[in-house]
Order: sequence, then C-alpha cells, then structure tokens
Amino acid sequence: MTTGPGPQGGGSGGDGTEGAVIETQALTKRYPGDVIALDGLAVSVAPGITGLIGANGAGKSTLIKILLGLLEPTKGRASVFGIDCEKDGERIRTLIGYMPEHDCLPPDVTATEFVTHMGRMSGLPATAAKERAAESLRHVGLHEERYRLIGTYSTGMKQRVKLAQALVGDPRLMLLDEPTNGLDPAGRGAMLDLISRIGTEFGISVVVASHLLGEIERICDHIVAIEAGRLLRADTITSFTGASRMLRVEVDEGLAALADELARRGLSPRRQQRALLVPLADDATYDVLRDAVADLRAPLSRLELSRHSVEELFRDSDLTEVADVR
Amino acid sequence: MSADSALTDGAISARGVIHDRGYRRYEGPRLGRVQIIRALLWHSFRSAFGIGRGAKAKILPVIAVVAICLPAIINAVAVANGGSQVVGYESYLFALRVIVLTVFVAVQAPEMVSRDLRSRVLPLYFSRPMRRGDYPLAKYLAFTAACVILVDLPLVLLYLGTIASSKSGGIWPNTRGLLGGLAIGLMWAVLVSAIALALASLTGRRAYATGVVAIFFFLTFILSQIIQQIAGQGRGQFISPQTVPAGQRLAGLISPFNTLQGLTKWFSGVRVFHPGEGPVPDPGSYAPAYIVMFVVLLAASFAILAVRYRKAGVA
Repeated sequence: MTTGPGPQGGGSGGDGTEGAVIETQALTKRYPGDVIALDGLAVSVAPGITGLIGANGAGKSTLIKILLGLLEPTKGRASVFGIDCEKDGERIRTLIGYMPEHDCLPPDVTATEFVTHMGRMSGLPATAAKERAAESLRHVGLHEERYRLIGTYSTGMKQRVKLAQALVGDPRLMLLDEPTNGLDPAGRGAMLDLISRIGTEFGISVVVASHLLGEIERICDHIVAIEAGRLLRADTITSFTGASRMLRVEVDEGLAALADELARRGLSPRRQQRALLVPLADDATYDVLRDAVADLRAPLSRLELSRHSVEELFRDSDLTEVADVR
Repeated sequence: MSADSALTDGAISARGVIHDRGYRRYEGPRLGRVQIIRALLWHSFRSAFGIGRGAKAKILPVIAVVAICLPAIINAVAVANGGSQVVGYESYLFALRVIVLTVFVAVQAPEMVSRDLRSRVLPLYFSRPMRRGDYPLAKYLAFTAACVILVDLPLVLLYLGTIASSKSGGIWPNTRGLLGGLAIGLMWAVLVSAIALALASLTGRRAYATGVVAIFFFLTFILSQIIQQIAGQGRGQFISPQTVPAGQRLAGLISPFNTLQGLTKWFSGVRVFHPGEGPVPDPGSYAPAYIVMFVVLLAASFAILAVRYRKAGVA
C-alpha cells in the first residue's frame, strides 16, 4: 500500500474502482499458431509496488502490452484505473510510464535531449518537458552525466535513462519490464532502491515484471505470480511472510541438544545448516527459547527474525517450476 | 541543510540525502494527440537538416541546400547584370534536382526512420498517448516538408533575384511561373519522400537503407533513360511533339523522377522536347498513365509504411 501520500483520488479521475490499479477478467491472448500467452488470467492489482513474477514466456510481456492497449486480447477484458484497455488505450497511456525489457535508447543523443523528447511525446509542453527531464534524470541519479551521449553510458546508466523516460511524464502507474536485466549485484540493488522510492516516496504505483523472485521480494508490497498465462498466486508480501515467520537461532556448540530441548518444550525446530529455525507463534516463543538457552547454558551467538524468501514460500506451496527458473 | 526538518518523510532524512528536493507532481497542462504529433513532426523536420544533432549530421544537408541553390543565385545575379533568366521555374534544373534529391533522401530518410528502428525506440513512442499510424504520419509530413524546402527554396531565390532586377520582364509573369513551380515542387516532394521513407523503413541498418534508396532511384532513372533513348533512336536534337514515338513517351514511367518530370511537362505545357535537358518528352495522350503511376507509387509507399509500423509497434 502507498503510505504517505495515500491513494490519490486525482489520479484515477473519478472512476477509480476502489483502489484497484489493474484488473483483468478471464484475459486470454492466443497468438497465431495456437500459442497461448495468456489463458483466462484474472488478477487485481492494488496500489503500491507489485511484483509480477513468472518465467520467460509466462505471459508477463503480453500482459503489459495488453495493459498499454497495444495488443488486443483474444478474450476477456483488462482495465487500468477502471479504464478499459482495449477501448481507451490512448487515455490509459497518458497515465502509464513504460520501461521495456530490451535496449531502446539511441546512442547518438544526450540523455537530456532524449528524455526531454520523450517528455514531449508524453504530452508535456516544451518548457515543462525540459524541466521534468532534468528532474527525472536527477531522481535516477544521472544529474552530472546528463549531457553525455547515451552511447557512452554503462549498462546501469542506460537502465536509469530507461527509467527516467518512463518517469518524465509523471505517470500514475509504471510498468517496468525486467528493470534489473544485465546489471551487476550492486547495480541491481541501486535499481531496486530507486523503484522502491518511486513506489513509496513518489506515490506512483509500480508493477515490476521479473523472473527473479528473491530480488523482487525486498521492495514489493504485493506479489502476482503467473505461469503459462494463468494466475498462480496473488497476495501481499506480509501475508506471505507473516504466515511463516521464523526465528533463526545460532549457537557456537550444542545445536543438537538445543533442538531436543526446544522440541521437549513444545516447539518444532528445524535444522538449517548451522542454525535452527523455530516457527514464531507469538511472544511466548521468545520466552521459551530464552529459557531453553539459559537452562542449557548454550553459547548463543545469534538470534534473529528470519523471513522466508518468496522462493521458499512458492516452493512450500508446490510452485517449484516458477522458483526453479532462477 | 534544513531538508530533514522540512520533510516529515523519515526515509529521506534517515538516509541523509541532503540535495534531494523530493518528487514533484506535474500539475500543468497536457497536450493532446494532435499536438504530440505536431511536436514529433517539428522534431523530425529539424533532424532532417541535422538541427539538434551533431555537427556531422549537418554536413550533407548544408551541401545539398547550397548545391541546389547555387544556380538560382548565379542566374539571379546574371539577370541583375543584364543577362537573361536561363533557369526555368517548372522543374528548375532537372538533372541537378534529381542528383541532389537522390543524395539527400538516401542519406536523410534513414535518419528519419532507420535510427528509431535500429535503436528499438519505437515501443517508447507507442506506449505514449498516440495511435499506431501517428508516428509514420509525423515522419512523412516532416520529411515531405524538408524535401519541399530543398526543391522550392531555389525557386524562391530565383524569383526574388529576378524581380529585384529592372530587366526581370515583369512581376506578374514571374509570380505566375513561381507559383506553378512551387506547386510542382510540392508534387515532387510528396512522392519522393514517401518512396524514400518506405524503402528506408525496411531496414534498421542505416548503410543498407541509404544503399537501397540510392540504388532504387538511380537504377530506375538510368533504366528509364536507356529505354527512352533506344525507343527514340535516329532522331535529331529537336523533335516536334507530334513525332515522339509511344515507347519514348512511356519510358518515363519506369523512374519516379521521370514520372514526375513527365507530369511536370504535361502540367506546365512544355511541348517542345530537348533530349539534352531532360530525358522525358511530354507524355501527351499518355498523361493518365503518368497520373496512375504517381498514385500507385504513393499508395504502395504508404502501404509499406503502414504494414511496417503495425508490426514494429508490438515487437
């Protein structure tokens, strides 16, 4: 959920359907040659940052193109802010900032020129486009280098320009297709921080399409997992992780003894490498754990709240195919 | 900095990003689709002459403009010094126009369309509030306008230079000649830019696009000229309009330039055929064939552009 600014009534222009940013019903897309990209997909996306998870070919890009009104669904319907994607794509596109997965930047212009032009194409008047281009580039951290030709940029900088051109038109929703593609770990972290800021501080709803489950988890409020064009699971991150909070306990020695002791006291610890994972029911669990460690005089070296990664959760619920994509 | 006191948002102050002024929504007016097309048109028109691009991008357009305007200026100066106007308004200097236009469109049409295809920037356009056909439409109008400048600018210079002189032969005949010439120039630009853009849009590789456009225009032009000469063998320098054989009259249809030149002669009523000045005789009773060819070439070019951009948008 968006905190701070809250759900802006202005963005949805009066026909806001109870906060749902995206809604699809029985959405089906069949390509020539009987390739089914989407197969009766029904999903509702709330404001905030939503991870759209799926393997390559799961239908993520097809869904994005339908949402942009660039592709007609074979069956079913999709809407963004309550506006029908098929009938009124033009209006929807004034509200969406789209960052494609592939390279989409001309090498022989400066970032400022390019983002300004894209701002014009989003419907900004000339002066506003210039101002917002400078601002967008500043937000993505390219203030100093903005007068350099894009061709001289690193992959990470190019990804930032792609993000800036999606941001320049002040969209209400951003569709980001694999934004961390081709980035090194540090670059991924920085890109995810940026997306997280856009979703929380800027108050813009974001859909991040990715096949990397673990990466997305950190910044998303919601997860929508699709596979073979169908909805696999949609839920909030907190409901995923909240249901299975774990305490991670590490002791320098006597791990087995501690496990036995905890089991004797009614907990069900699970061993994971050199640590124990203890399901956290309520605050009483902490007390039981403390007493057990104290009674055994076990050399406790670490006690922390451990969140399951999304992957593990999917694996727990028999969603191995998606998880294995990594 | 007073940033942390002013901003209640804990995330910002906690991270200590002092130069961050936060995100500001855009509350100003937004342009509609037509104004966006106009913005793209203006942007593309400028880039056809290398304006807003690097110095290198300006070299060819400048050479083209200078080359095509030079005879007009020279002739205007000559008229002022007592000479006569040897360059006509109808199709200006045909051979020069063919060469300069071919080189210009071969180099600049890829600048218009191949760059965007190559860098795969089209999805960014199509994800904005415009329709599928708007992009090629804006590009076409922009490029046609650029070609009009190239074709009609020398006529205007010639006109201004001529009427400024006392020996001009009167303002009215010159004005009439100029207006006819400008209209014919527009006809040239409409067709040549359409063909060039359609051919250039077939490939994202700029060098190939230039090659395809240049070869198409030159090859058809030379073929047309050869056939025209074969059909008209054994004739003298000055041929009366009645004795031109059908093959020679129809040979112009092979080349867009000669099709245009045939139409030019037909419209402007130049009945006398000087084989040295332009390869095509007045089409005479075959004029409808020239009109049909003009329409077919234009329609085919538009069809190629439409198909090309219907596909490119989704890919």
